Amino acid sequence: MDREAILLDYVKNELLRGRANNITAEDDLLGAGLIDSLGILQIVAFIDERFNIQVPDEDVVYENFNSVKALSDYLAQ
Amino acid sequence: MVRRLLYLNGIAILFVIFFHAVGWGFTAMFPWTPRYLPVSAPVYDQVGSLSYYYLRLVEQIVVVAIPAFLFVSGYFMAFSAGRRDNVTWKQVWGRVKMLLFPYIFWTLLMWAAKLAQGDIFPLTGYAVMFFTGRTTPAYYYVPLLIQYYLLSPFIIPFARNRWVSLLIITGIIQFSLQLSQMLVLLNGMQGVPDFVRWLAVVPKWFFLARLFWFVLGMVVGFHIKEFKQFLARFKWVFLVTAVVCIPLGVLEWEAIIRFSGQDWLEHRETILDSIYSLAFIFAFFAFTNVALPLNKQVSDLGVKSFGIYLAHIPAMEFTARGIYLLIPALLGVQLLFQPIMVVFGLGIPLLMMAVVNRSPARRYYSYIFG
Repeated sequence: MDREAILLDYVKNELLRGRANNITAEDDLLGAGLIDSLGILQIVAFIDERFNIQVPDEDVVYENFNSVKALSDYLAQ
Repeated sequence: MVRRLLYLNGIAILFVIFFHAVGWGFTAMFPWTPRYLPVSAPVYDQVGSLSYYYLRLVEQIVVVAIPAFLFVSGYFMAFSAGRRDNVTWKQVWGRVKMLLFPYIFWTLLMWAAKLAQGDIFPLTGYAVMFFTGRTTPAYYYVPLLIQYYLLSPFIIPFARNRWVSLLIITGIIQFSLQLSQMLVLLNGMQGVPDFVRWLAVVPKWFFLARLFWFVLGMVVGFHIKEFKQFLARFKWVFLVTAVVCIPLGVLEWEAIIRFSGQDWLEHRETILDSIYSLAFIFAFFAFTNVALPLNKQVSDLGVKSFGIYLAHIPAMEFTARGIYLLIPALLGVQLLFQPIMVVFGLGIPLLMMAVVNRSPARRYYSYIFG
């Protein structure tokens, strides 16, 4: 599974608990109110644990976290 | 630093549990004394006992809980705005919605419990309870946070560009409210000028009461680089201030009780408590090289904090009332009563969350626990 798929799977199953199974990597998770601030922190922790990448504080910004694709693109940089 | 926000949220919810356990501790210590002592009316002769000072000390340490929650919430409104000018109303509604549904669920549950006990209110009474969070003494936090989210689009431009003025103004507002409350405590309502009386009665669910903490989190979110430099320069000052403020806060409240002429007064946040909260939050983020104990477990509580916050109130009330009815002797032994209240106050919500998460109702989890 590639990084984007792993992240999407995590968001669907752990953060959304199956309540929005039809979301895609491009969907705006924050804008649509699907995940909240604590959800973002969980993603930051998950990225650290799963991919061993520590996201610097300055990079924890809306633009990098508003969708799974944005996040995946940011991690690919 | 950002990952520490989750831990801070975890500490905050633990502190809330301890705070309410202490609240029930004082209820057991004073109004409920006839239940376990041979007296016919509440007595206050446990003031000054070891148990009393233990409760006061805990209450003093955990006073940072709500400021910490608001700080984290403010920080993430800054995050939501990102590099754009402001948040969108759609984002604001997304936040409000996530608070509103669980709040409605638990409020209705508490109303049902009151109804079962024969407490029926007029329609206006229910409306007031809903909009001010007075259904329980702790639910005021939800309407308060919703007000902050709704105000965010108006605050963000100032938090981004004129943050010094914003912090000074909101700091002065908070200082004035707390000073007025202290003056009223010491002199009584009739002994203070009208404007002090008005300031003193600003309720805790109203946005002015704690706006400073939310704004502080937002300002830090927008200026994180400068904030880190500031913390690094004064980290020992913050740590020493936080530690010193704890015993000072205990002494301050004892002095207020003495001067007020009352047997005992329920604790209210003072200016010194705000200084402590500020120093605590700053010290917490200043020592980033210090490993946090039980990081995963506390952070996990931080993730579940809103659900725990809503569910621990009925859990603790039923526990306390159960002890009152079945084992009243426990009410007089704080060494046992306190741990029981904390374990049940935390354990019951966590159990409920685990049950829902493993049941077919899982998809509705966020509507119940946020």
